[in-house]
Amino acid sequence: MAEVEETLKRIQTHKGVIGTIVVNAEGIPIRTTLDNSTTVQYAGLLHQLTMKARSTVRDLDPQNDLTFLRIRPKKHEIMVAPDKEYLLIVIQNPSE
Amino acid sequence: MFTDESLDALGVESLWRKSQQFAQESRGCQTRPVHTAEAEIQPLLNADNGTQTDPQDHLIYQLPPKGELRPESPGLRDFLHRVEDMVLKELASNAKSHAFDGFDVNWEDQNETVSCIHCLQHPSAQEKGLQVTSISWSCTGSVIACAFGRVDDGDWSTEKSCVCTWNLDRRGLNPKRPDMIIDVARPVMSLSFHPSQPSLIAGGLYSGEVVVWDTNRTQDLILAQTGMSTDTHREPVYQVAWVPGPRRGEMVVLSAGSGGRVLLWTVDSDEGRLVLSAGFALIRQQVPHNSALSKNRGSSNVGVTSLALSPWDLDTFLVGSESGLVLKCSFSAQTLAAAPPDGESVTLRAPAQFSFSPRGGPVHSLHCSPFHRNLFVSVGTDGLAHLHSLLQPDPLLSLRVSDSYVFGVRWSPTRPLLFAAATGQGLVQIFDLGRKSLRPAATLDQLTGGQPVYCLEFNPRRKDLLAVGNADGSVNIWHLSTELTEQGPRETAKLEQLANEVAE
Repeated sequence: MAEVEETLKRIQTHKGVIGTIVVNAEGIPIRTTLDNSTTVQYAGLLHQLTMKARSTVRDLDPQNDLTFLRIRPKKHEIMVAPDKEYLLIVIQNPSE
Repeated sequence: MFTDESLDALGVESLWRKSQQFAQESRGCQTRPVHTAEAEIQPLLNADNGTQTDPQDHLIYQLPPKGELRPESPGLRDFLHRVEDMVLKELASNAKSHAFDGFDVNWEDQNETVSCIHCLQHPSAQEKGLQVTSISWSCTGSVIACAFGRVDDGDWSTEKSCVCTWNLDRRGLNPKRPDMIIDVARPVMSLSFHPSQPSLIAGGLYSGEVVVWDTNRTQDLILAQTGMSTDTHREPVYQVAWVPGPRRGEMVVLSAGSGGRVLLWTVDSDEGRLVLSAGFALIRQQVPHNSALSKNRGSSNVGVTSLALSPWDLDTFLVGSESGLVLKCSFSAQTLAAAPPDGESVTLRAPAQFSFSPRGGPVHSLHCSPFHRNLFVSVGTDGLAHLHSLLQPDPLLSLRVSDSYVFGVRWSPTRPLLFAAATGQGLVQIFDLGRKSLRPAATLDQLTGGQPVYCLEFNPRRKDLLAVGNADGSVNIWHLSTELTEQGPRETAKLEQLANEVAE
């Protein structure tokens, strides 16, 4: 249990990180460092986008699979690490 | 001889007709008797039971509570183990990466130029020589209302004036003919649209009255007014605004005038009255000030010429006065005002909590930054724009806007580092704090022949429109270039940096 918190803390305190969210397979956030409404918004939208990205990759090459997803809006960067059961979303403000 | 005789009847038996009757035998049967038995039962103990589904308490999803007692999701630890290294590596390389430096995407058409797309006028007001004292955009961003009055008249004015509205999204827009003209008996000094109902406008008059108009009505457009009672201002009302009221969803009208009063009115539309709900009085002796101010004599009221609400903190508001004071005030101040009660229905309180370094003349306009909770900009008759932080009395930055008076200033709603100031020479100067030089990024000439510009407002919905009200009675709508409206990278960070500088 403490290990989970430690790992998340290591990620959260990295340079430039604004927020961290862990989402389960159904798209429900289980750990977050942002406020409620933002978290629910990010979790829902990025879960859908990750599923779409994964199906795109697999359609292009069935032997391939999605390992990492990065979206770069103007203001910051969103990184998604997907997995079978969970999704880790990290929002970072690069080169500050 | 003859005698009666009866003879026996003679019978002849039939030979062929026999009796059909044969031998008859009778038999009968009956079942054996049926056994019946009766028995009764009765339970000695009773028990009742029922089930029902409970209604769901919360339909919105709630996150699991934080803390030690959270149920551990299976496999979470392993998942984090797997991804941690990869994520940290990506984060580190991202922080160092120069791959996207200077990379910009054009999603929309770039507009390189700033142009004046409309010049709205009301000819009959212009004939009378009325000036535009205040403009306001509706919450939908398509209607602009302007108030006519006089700013340069020192005398008590009983001149009739009007409030005109134009709908810019309408197809048959005629710049010379307003869509709606509301006649008012006194010059209107300030105007404010309701932030969520697009048909309500609040206005402050030269006589001290505050009126709320409802543009939906066809007959009498006045929804509520204060009338001339003991509660109203006695001096011109220079600023009106809508603030959230005590109940959720309700808005009350805030009015501030040069009599030193800041009053809050609730709208009672049934009676058509504005009822005073709270009031503040600014008295010179109650202002927390530096010792330099206490030498001034004169009226003890601090006349309010401008007011700004903070979008970050609903309790704070800033007040600029005729004598150059800029004060930070609070709605929840409890100290009673030292003003003699003048028959008002509520007791007035003294709201001032902090005073910033004073200016050399009346402060005509204040505006709080929508991007940083501590920053605001103030302009006055000394021709300078001061950028202040709420935390310290001295300004962070002083910019020379013009050589004459500056009447209005507004932060851009889309770019954190941009603000526009309206000068007395008929120019609107737009400053970009991200640039190295302190000269304006753009200058909009209102072509009024040197007459002052009194007010300016950015459109809350369409980020590239700026409305400017001039002294010759016209309102110019400017379309700004993309450079002035698109937020650049790291602007919020630069603003943060500016705000954290401590003035020497």
